[in-house]
Amino acid sequence: MTDPAIHATTDAQTDVAMAAPPHIEIKAVILLVLMTSLIAAFLLYVMYARGVFEVTQRLVLVSDDSEGVIPGMDMTFAGFAVGRVRRVELAPDGKARILVDVPRKDANWLRVSSVFTLERGLVGDPKIKAYTGILTDPPLPDGATRTVLRGDTGAEIPKLVASARTLLENLEAMTRLDSSLNASLANVQAATNRMGGKYGLLGGALGGDEQARKAMLALDRVNALLASADRRVFGKAGIADDTQAAVVQLNAVLQGASASLKKLDAVLAEAQAVGKNARVATDDLGVLRAEVDSSLRKASRLVDEINRKWPFAHKSELKLP
Amino acid sequence: MPNNSFLYSKPQQWRHQLAHYAASWWRMLLLGAIALVLAFSPSTYTREHRRATARQIYLGAWQVLPWFTALSALISLVIIRIVLVTALSYGLSRFGLEMVVRVLVLELIPLAAAMFVALRAGMAFNAAVLDPLASDRSEQAAWRLRRNLVAEVSGNAFAVLSLAIVSSVLVLVLAYLNVYGLSPWGLDDYTRTVGRVFEPTVAIGFGIKTLLFGLAVAVIPAAAMMEIQRFGRNGESTTQPGAVRLLFVLTVIEAASLAVKYF
Repeated sequence: MTDPAIHATTDAQTDVAMAAPPHIEIKAVILLVLMTSLIAAFLLYVMYARGVFEVTQRLVLVSDDSEGVIPGMDMTFAGFAVGRVRRVELAPDGKARILVDVPRKDANWLRVSSVFTLERGLVGDPKIKAYTGILTDPPLPDGATRTVLRGDTGAEIPKLVASARTLLENLEAMTRLDSSLNASLANVQAATNRMGGKYGLLGGALGGDEQARKAMLALDRVNALLASADRRVFGKAGIADDTQAAVVQLNAVLQGASASLKKLDAVLAEAQAVGKNARVATDDLGVLRAEVDSSLRKASRLVDEINRKWPFAHKSELKLP
Repeated sequence: MPNNSFLYSKPQQWRHQLAHYAASWWRMLLLGAIALVLAFSPSTYTREHRRATARQIYLGAWQVLPWFTALSALISLVIIRIVLVTALSYGLSRFGLEMVVRVLVLELIPLAAAMFVALRAGMAFNAAVLDPLASDRSEQAAWRLRRNLVAEVSGNAFAVLSLAIVSSVLVLVLAYLNVYGLSPWGLDDYTRTVGRVFEPTVAIGFGIKTLLFGLAVAVIPAAAMMEIQRFGRNGESTTQPGAVRLLFVLTVIEAASLAVKYF
């Protein structure tokens, strides 16, 4: 047991120790109320910021890969956040389903023809973006499922680097001192230098002023030749005139030839008639010959008969070798 | 100078020291539990207790609040500016604001509030509450001490909570003003960023962490003081009783909170 006197003393001491500024309880209550309201306001603000009080509609985005997509991240339209990822789940077919909550007030930016992309940059989370080409299309229904198109910068970089390397190698090969491009450019430069000479383009094309000069001389000669030829051919008593006279004569000759040919035709007709007669005669000659043959055979037989008769008979024998 | 650490004691004393440490931790946990039970018991709230609690709130929060808020606002302003300018120079301005909210509001401000209250209230507790009861070791005196402790504990916990929440709100406002200026058109974007940071787990973790900081700051120095009252000062340490243990517990709570949030 303890002595009550001691307690009284200690209580009094405590009270003295606790002697505090005035209105301490009121101040404490004010502070409590302030803190409670501050905490409540903060909680409400965080809940509002999390979209707890928003009326939303659901949009399901289907993707092969949802890496980096986390609940709470935004879906943007023209740079403005119009939706928030609520959940990411794996569908039975192995595709990732990204469940996005779109506030009703922002849902009018999404139409049935809207396209959704998941872009992955080098730094930071991937971004889900919505693109709407035709804002007059019917609005996107609640619970709509869309396939999300993926654009992966990280995956594109190796390809890009490989292409860039090939490009740079080609460029390097092209710009080397002994490269064909350099040689071509040098040739072009030489050609253009030549073109800058006295004879211009002709000098460039022919390889120098000397050659161009020769070509010009040749051209002059050709010109002179052409003038002379013109004089000789088309001038007075030129080849053209002679030819014309010759043609007139030839015409006369041809007329004569034509008359001769007509005469020849008549001769040929005669000859044809003669030929016909000769054929008839030849036919008669055949008969005559047959008769002569017959007479000769008869005479031969007569001679043979006479020979067999005495005194002309002789023994005929055949001797074998 | 006697030293009772493991490094300087003989192996046969280790068992005794381990038991001593375990008992000390146990008494601290018991005190915390009793304080919590008493705080939630209607019979505790007598007129005297209300006055004591009001006094603790006044000392721990009301008096300190303006100074702490001004100081934390100043330091936060510097940190906000550094973070935002650095983020901007690297082209990462959209992450700057998020980083400010995460680092300052969620981590640094509650820890700073806890440290501040621990330093200030721990010393006040030594002087005001324990000395009159130092000579009395009766059961009633112990309960009376515990009742006073409840006022102390709830006052300190409330102080940590209020300092942390006021400074956090102020930092949120300062961050907005730094990024968007006085224009109200950044509010939607800012609200979205805050919403993204305060995921349900993070928000709940923030609340629990702040409460645990308040409890630790209230209970650990008090338990250490009671131990000194009962068993005398161990060695000739000049540090505030329970300071090392309090630092250790605060670090553990902070580390656990980070681990839960980011792993």
